[in-house]
Amino acid sequence: MTTLTRQDLNFGQVVADILCEFLEVAIHLILYVREVYPSGIFQKRKKYNVPVQMSCHPELNQYIHDTLHCVKPLIEKNDAEKVVVVIMDKEHHPVERFVFEISQPPLLSIRVDNNTSAISDTLLSHVEQLLRAVILKISVCDAVLENNPPGCTFTVLVHTREAATRNMEKVQVIKDFPWIVADEQEVHMQEPRLIPLKTMTSDIVKMQLYVEERAQKAS
Amino acid sequence: MVPPQCVYFRMLYHYLDQKRKEGSARLHATYLVSGKFVENGTTSHKVSVVREDQLEDAKSKMSLTVSVHVYSVQKAVLKDSGPLYSADYDAVKENLRNCSRYSAIRCADAVPRSSAEVQQACETTQAPPPETEQIKANHSNLASKPTSKQPKGIMGMFANKNVSKNQDSSKEIKLEQKEVTPVVETSKTKPAPKTNPVTNFFAKQAAKKPDKSIKEEVEIAQTSSSVDEKPTSPPPKAETPVKEELAKDAVVEKDTSKTKRLEHSDSEEEKNESRRKKRRRIKKPEPDSSDDEVIPDSPPQLQEKRDPSPSPEIQVKKEPVAVSHSDELSDCKRRKRRRVLKSRTFVDDEGCIVTEKGYESESYSETEDDFKFSQPTPKNPNPPKPSTGKKEEEKKSKKAAVASNKSTKQASIMGFFQKK
Repeated sequence: MTTLTRQDLNFGQVVADILCEFLEVAIHLILYVREVYPSGIFQKRKKYNVPVQMSCHPELNQYIHDTLHCVKPLIEKNDAEKVVVVIMDKEHHPVERFVFEISQPPLLSIRVDNNTSAISDTLLSHVEQLLRAVILKISVCDAVLENNPPGCTFTVLVHTREAATRNMEKVQVIKDFPWIVADEQEVHMQEPRLIPLKTMTSDIVKMQLYVEERAQKAS
Repeated sequence: MVPPQCVYFRMLYHYLDQKRKEGSARLHATYLVSGKFVENGTTSHKVSVVREDQLEDAKSKMSLTVSVHVYSVQKAVLKDSGPLYSADYDAVKENLRNCSRYSAIRCADAVPRSSAEVQQACETTQAPPPETEQIKANHSNLASKPTSKQPKGIMGMFANKNVSKNQDSSKEIKLEQKEVTPVVETSKTKPAPKTNPVTNFFAKQAAKKPDKSIKEEVEIAQTSSSVDEKPTSPPPKAETPVKEELAKDAVVEKDTSKTKRLEHSDSEEEKNESRRKKRRRIKKPEPDSSDDEVIPDSPPQLQEKRDPSPSPEIQVKKEPVAVSHSDELSDCKRRKRRRVLKSRTFVDDEGCIVTEKGYESESYSETEDDFKFSQPTPKNPNPPKPSTGKKEEEKKSKKAAVASNKSTKQASIMGFFQKK
């Protein structure tokens, strides 16, 4: 076992890739489970060796893909604290917030395959197993949440550390896909109920998923 | 005799019933319904997992409902069957070898037969030919092919060739296959120890696969009656039924060792058939990262039907062999025009750098085929390129490359040397 810092092995990039892939699947699944979009646009696909629902709508897919593409550099540098999927009602008041809290340990010892200097397969399969559990939990989160009112929309917020957002405004990662500072009403919810869903701890990343739900959803 | 899984189903039912009476928790159940199902005149045994609200509908569609029991209980309403699979994925993966431990029907009186009993069974079941015809039809079409291929291949290894005996033994083996199949599926124990030195040779192979060993024992029982026993290496005559079996596998062409050949047999298809159901649920752990794979279950029901005979599998295997031979035919040198896949890079309206692949015709000669016709690597330089557009292009280029691969004839290898 070799002790490495984040600079070695392009470690940040590996973690960012894994997390962004996972977040893409998770966002699609949240949209499916919470019925933000009709279930007809979703198609069964396979990820982490289990069936998941992914949308077929090209613009929706493009939007989610571009969003995560911009989030990736933040995760690489460990600037992203939380990624939040906010579901809003017709008046753009949030009714639910799925919060993915992400943290990466600064100095860590990770299992490395000495021959290829790659992150070991056992570690990756362990991470896959944990992500599978989070996916499963999202699939059945209906049990602990109230139904949403019809006509909901969604957005993705990123909470960053320090001044990372200033860098984002300077450098547009994707043209015509600007990021703006979120409104206060999108960030804070009135009378939220906190429902923890899943915690995931591994050598390379720690993640916690919980839901903030508005007490009275029907406006 | 109560199968272990019945206890499990009863427990689930009692739990569900109790909770609903108490009214404490709002629970949802999924049910497993199995029974006879008639569709387009064909009757099949259908097993499906349905939600509670679809239960009556599923039962009404079946001509005969064999069993209905609670499959799972959960708090959330399941919109699709995905969580049912994901929930025990890890547990199943860990116990892959013995996941049927709690679901197989067991009977304490079912013990494997001794070799003498098997021999008796062989003698009594040497039925008239019509029966063997039916059995041949049931299994794949292997018998007809190997009889024509017998003279080739491994025949040099054997001193004596007895065609008539082979045919007899092939029929006997077919008979035993049919007998063995139900035996294989119900019991997985190894046969009784053999004393015959000929059988000892096969015993080593039998140690690897128990159901295969039952079949071998049957063949040995046949051959021991007709072959002189030799204490040392197995005699050539004893090999003939083995060879018969080996030759039956038309797909296997290049095995060098006898031991490896013994493992390829008809029972392979039987095993595949019996495992196919399990494979659908379990053997999905291929290397993932393919988001395009669509699972063939239609939501919200999971449907499993018993598979027909394994002949399509063999035909599919034969096809690639046939295709590769036809490509080597042409050898004439002519100047031709052909369409070549070439990539062009340009800037589109949005200012994104786009790489497109397109066909351009150019002239070529057969000798240059080996070099010029190589698939170009796709170039995706910039992230701003739309992801959906990228996927479409990749798909197009892939399809185009495959199509053009098939259209071009493979030149002879001498072209490589003549260029110098």
